[in-house]
Amino acid sequence: MSQNGEFPDTVTLTIDGREVTVPKGTTILQAAESLGNRIPHYCYHPGMSAPAQCRLCLVEVEGAPKLSPSCVSAAQDGQVVLTESEKAKGMREGVLEFYLKNHPLDCPICDQSGECKLQDYVHEEGRKHGRSREPKRVFGRDDFGGDVLFYGDRCVMCTRCVRFMEEVAQDPLLTVVERGSRSVIDTFFEEGLTGSPYAGNVVDICPVGALVSKDFLHKARAWDLDHTPSICPNCSQGCNIDLHTRDDAVQRLKPRPNLDVNAYWMCDYGRHRYEWINRRDRLEAPVLRGEDGTRARDWPDAIEDVAARLMEAREAEKPVRAVASPHASNEDLAALRAVVESLGGGDIVYRSRRAEDEVPLPGFSQLVRRRDLTPNARGAEILGATRVGDDGATGGLEEVSTHEGVVIVLGDELSDQGASFGQDAALYLYLGSHSTPAADRADALLPVTTFAEQEGSFTNFEGRVQRFWPALRPPGAARPAWMVLGALLARVREDARRPAHVAAAFLRAGELAPEFEGLAFETIGTRGALVNDPVALSGGGS
Amino acid sequence: MSRPTRSSSSGDIPFRNPGWAGNTGEFDLSEAEVRGTEYVGRIPADGGHPGASATRPYMLEEKEPSAPLFEGPFRERFEKILTRYPEKQGALLPALGLAQELRGHISPETMAEVAEMLGLSEAYVRGVTSFYTMYNKRPVGRFLIQVCTNISCNLCGGDEVLEAFLEHTGTELGETSQDGLFTVMEVECLAACGFPTAVQINSKYFENVSVDDVPALLDHLRSEVG
Amino acid sequence: MAYPYTHEKEVRVLSRGWGDPATRTLEGWKALEGYDGLAKALEMGREKVIEVVKASGLRGRGGAGFPTGVKWSFMPKEKKGVHYLCCNADESEPGTFKDRELMRWTPHQVVEGCLIAAYAIQADHVYIYCRGEFFEANQVLARAVEEAYAAGLAGKDILGSGASIEVTVHQGAGAYICGEETALMNSLEGKRGLPRIKPPFPAAVGAFEQPTTVNNVETLCAIPHIVRNGGEWYRQWGSEKSPGTKLFCVSGHVRRPGNYELPLGFPMNELIEDVCGGIPNGRKLKAVIPGGASVPIMDAEDCDGCSLDYEGVVERGSMLGCASVIVMDDSTNLVKQVRRMVDFFAHESCGQCTPCREGTTWLAQILARIEMGKGTEEDLDTLLDLGAQMTGTTICVLSDSAAVPVASSIEKFKDDYLSLIRRGEPVGAD
Repeated sequence: MSQNGEFPDTVTLTIDGREVTVPKGTTILQAAESLGNRIPHYCYHPGMSAPAQCRLCLVEVEGAPKLSPSCVSAAQDGQVVLTESEKAKGMREGVLEFYLKNHPLDCPICDQSGECKLQDYVHEEGRKHGRSREPKRVFGRDDFGGDVLFYGDRCVMCTRCVRFMEEVAQDPLLTVVERGSRSVIDTFFEEGLTGSPYAGNVVDICPVGALVSKDFLHKARAWDLDHTPSICPNCSQGCNIDLHTRDDAVQRLKPRPNLDVNAYWMCDYGRHRYEWINRRDRLEAPVLRGEDGTRARDWPDAIEDVAARLMEAREAEKPVRAVASPHASNEDLAALRAVVESLGGGDIVYRSRRAEDEVPLPGFSQLVRRRDLTPNARGAEILGATRVGDDGATGGLEEVSTHEGVVIVLGDELSDQGASFGQDAALYLYLGSHSTPAADRADALLPVTTFAEQEGSFTNFEGRVQRFWPALRPPGAARPAWMVLGALLARVREDARRPAHVAAAFLRAGELAPEFEGLAFETIGTRGALVNDPVALSGGGS
Repeated sequence: MSRPTRSSSSGDIPFRNPGWAGNTGEFDLSEAEVRGTEYVGRIPADGGHPGASATRPYMLEEKEPSAPLFEGPFRERFEKILTRYPEKQGALLPALGLAQELRGHISPETMAEVAEMLGLSEAYVRGVTSFYTMYNKRPVGRFLIQVCTNISCNLCGGDEVLEAFLEHTGTELGETSQDGLFTVMEVECLAACGFPTAVQINSKYFENVSVDDVPALLDHLRSEVG
Repeated sequence: MAYPYTHEKEVRVLSRGWGDPATRTLEGWKALEGYDGLAKALEMGREKVIEVVKASGLRGRGGAGFPTGVKWSFMPKEKKGVHYLCCNADESEPGTFKDRELMRWTPHQVVEGCLIAAYAIQADHVYIYCRGEFFEANQVLARAVEEAYAAGLAGKDILGSGASIEVTVHQGAGAYICGEETALMNSLEGKRGLPRIKPPFPAAVGAFEQPTTVNNVETLCAIPHIVRNGGEWYRQWGSEKSPGTKLFCVSGHVRRPGNYELPLGFPMNELIEDVCGGIPNGRKLKAVIPGGASVPIMDAEDCDGCSLDYEGVVERGSMLGCASVIVMDDSTNLVKQVRRMVDFFAHESCGQCTPCREGTTWLAQILARIEMGKGTEEDLDTLLDLGAQMTGTTICVLSDSAAVPVASSIEKFKDDYLSLIRRGEPVGAD
């Protein structure tokens, strides 16, 4: 029975024998998806208009004379939809044969192989053998500029790429040229996609191997990649991404849907800045400078030693100054703040690179490549850090570098600082991932992990807390900063316990800053959660 | 294979059929009367009434590939065209038509200029231009000869007429003759099926064209050039 | 004055002025009671006009045969924004050559029909989407529009009625698919001529996203006569379900091909044998395509006794379409002609739907192979199967149309295929 009386804005229909109630206006395809039934399709994409031209998503609707394109047909009350009927399956088999008519079947050398919707659908429902004896049409390969290569012969003419550029990027650099079977995607002659800041998304949305990334070309097979949900570390927008990794290295970044942040998209700036995550020559073991010289230690020793020195400094009432990094997680930053406070408090500063301009995505206006090019400047500020330095993330450390008390640096590589940094400090702790002249001077050099090697959360420009997960193995003895600092804290403060896991470390943020109060990892959810009472990022540099 | 034949009429033109649908002898109109020559070409370069401005006569015998887009009366015409559509984009097809009228073909540069004028992307204009067969993507001869070989004409020898045009112009399909006069193309049904073979030469239809008519027809065109 | 061929059985309503250059002028058209229909319509009021057209039973002459009055009544009664009328003058169905004649001989008939229809559906603007290749017809029509404006028959406050209707002649640029009404609207908007998915229907969301009606030239040309003389008058010809006169475009192997205006329901035998003078050169009738390239091919047996109205042709397994009767004698290499038609559909496919984009070309390739004597009997099964896959699976019916001649010819003329497959020669090769 229809539930319309009770919920006037819903319709109830039956799809493959299962009843489902959806809001009015929901398409049959979406209704089926809500049942976990993915109807095959190419041209439909949830972030764009649906031209209903690929003809794969046709389903049988009882009483309708023809099969209906489920991507544009609104679900009707009482409708009986069959996606697996003989008619629907026969149609899909037929359409798939048309798709293969001129396809080169070059899967062995195609980057898309393994994540190709043509491969998948044909494997599931296609004919065993194609019947065509006719010569195939050949378009060849075309460099579209930017990071995009086009293999015309693999194209299924779904026009997702054209519509993305028109509707979402609103920079219509792609078009369908010619018509009929001579139709082919192209740019304006030699004018390519170069310079269009979101063009890389066309590779993601291409359901087949027609549009591929030059950067990723022949780098890895899709099935060899591990996918880890993460947050783009390259600006304060906080686009949801997946890190695709192999051989303990990030191979590419792909956007992950989050309708509150980035929909299905990400910018090319963010997408192409991942090599730093794979940088080698990492700090791999705690190194302590002591009376017996400088030497690597294991963690229990190092913690014991550093804690003792911290307590010593506290006793001597040495003032504290800290440098944080907006690349560090909320948990890391909260732990830093807790340590600083346990030593009697002190200034925490951070530096972040900022671009001159924002780069908005016109078709999804929430998504903007923000001026602040770090993922957690907002988190740093909420946790008490103040931005210093210039837009190149240099300078501003004059007071810290000559500070005579305790200096703690978390994550900032100090690459603009000389070997004299911290030379006057009573105690200089450096928690980071790479060695630099200024870092090397530290009394304790403690190796920590990057965001890609740990679990945690960032707070984006608008105060949205979003989680990420570890994708890479930490090098050597590197540990998350929250763990290292947590261990130190437990030693220097009687009532503090070292957090057992990252979720507990996050709760510490709530204890330190009312903005985080009440938030917990369990309740952040897949779209992230806004902090309480969001405030603007300092200096208007969101 | 034998085909229906029609008697030829001698007249003020050197080939059998001047472009009306058949002549049985009882049909005593001149070519001008049949074509409506009095009417055709009466729309001035500036487009006349705005309601007529979006049509495209062959106004100019000589094409100038570097002609400006658009100046003088043609600018007026373009402005009139713009008034006929609620969105600028609606003027795209007529604007491309006018550009081809002046320049003879639609080059990438022309596409870019038209795109600029209408606030459209170059790629978009390329996509639209390439969809329609009447926009010449490269220069064609002074006389663009399009021969219908679709079913009604084909039944009565359209293929042979096409062959004859290629032979007598010494060209390959779609290529322009050495003297720059002729480009011969195959065309889909011209909607003049009753009097095969239908041939379109620039703006004019020639109906009832047989293989034997081809040399005289070409001579007639050459004589027009003088 | 006589248009190329006339026949005493013709009923010249729409084609009355053909062959007389004077009819092209405003005065000439007025001499044939021109624009009286418009004046009468403005007096009657728009609801009444729609009633009269409904009463006449006029059916769309563009091929689908949908009742015109009913189509008009789909337009919103309460007008919110702008309404458009598109006159579909993009005639390009192989075998069809009536609209060009209507436009070049009786341009004012077209304009008058447009104005009445626009008035009835409250359209503010009429776009006459005229096929690009029709340079001459375009110019004649454009001139007629100018004359109509000058005479106060178009534009603001037509004939003092308060109704204002703009008319623009819009020239196409070479694409058969733009004769499909939603592709036509896209093309009018300066887009690639891709048919749109329905719903929404044009009467709700049409050209420039406004309510729009698209009518064929011949349909609109019948309007002034119906309004002037009444619905019952129109029903004196034809049958109950297919009333009125129709322009029959006869081409191919007949002695006197041409356009003949005849009452619907006219017997096919009489059309071919009598009106068109029969098949020349002592040949026999082999096949007829009664409604343009998109309808099933009939063999001689189907044709015998067939009544040329919408229902009569369906009874014989085909469709009247736009009454484009293509006659083929027994010397015809039917496989070649089918291949030529399928080539056409492949050339004209807009390319958006996969079954059409790939299927039309594939069919054409197989047919070409068979025509060259390199086919197999399995190819026939493949052709039929592909055709079935192309039917009912796309946005518009071009795909279905391409499959039609293939399936019907294999059904009715299998020997033609087998002869090429087995002997490498067409049937009837002398």
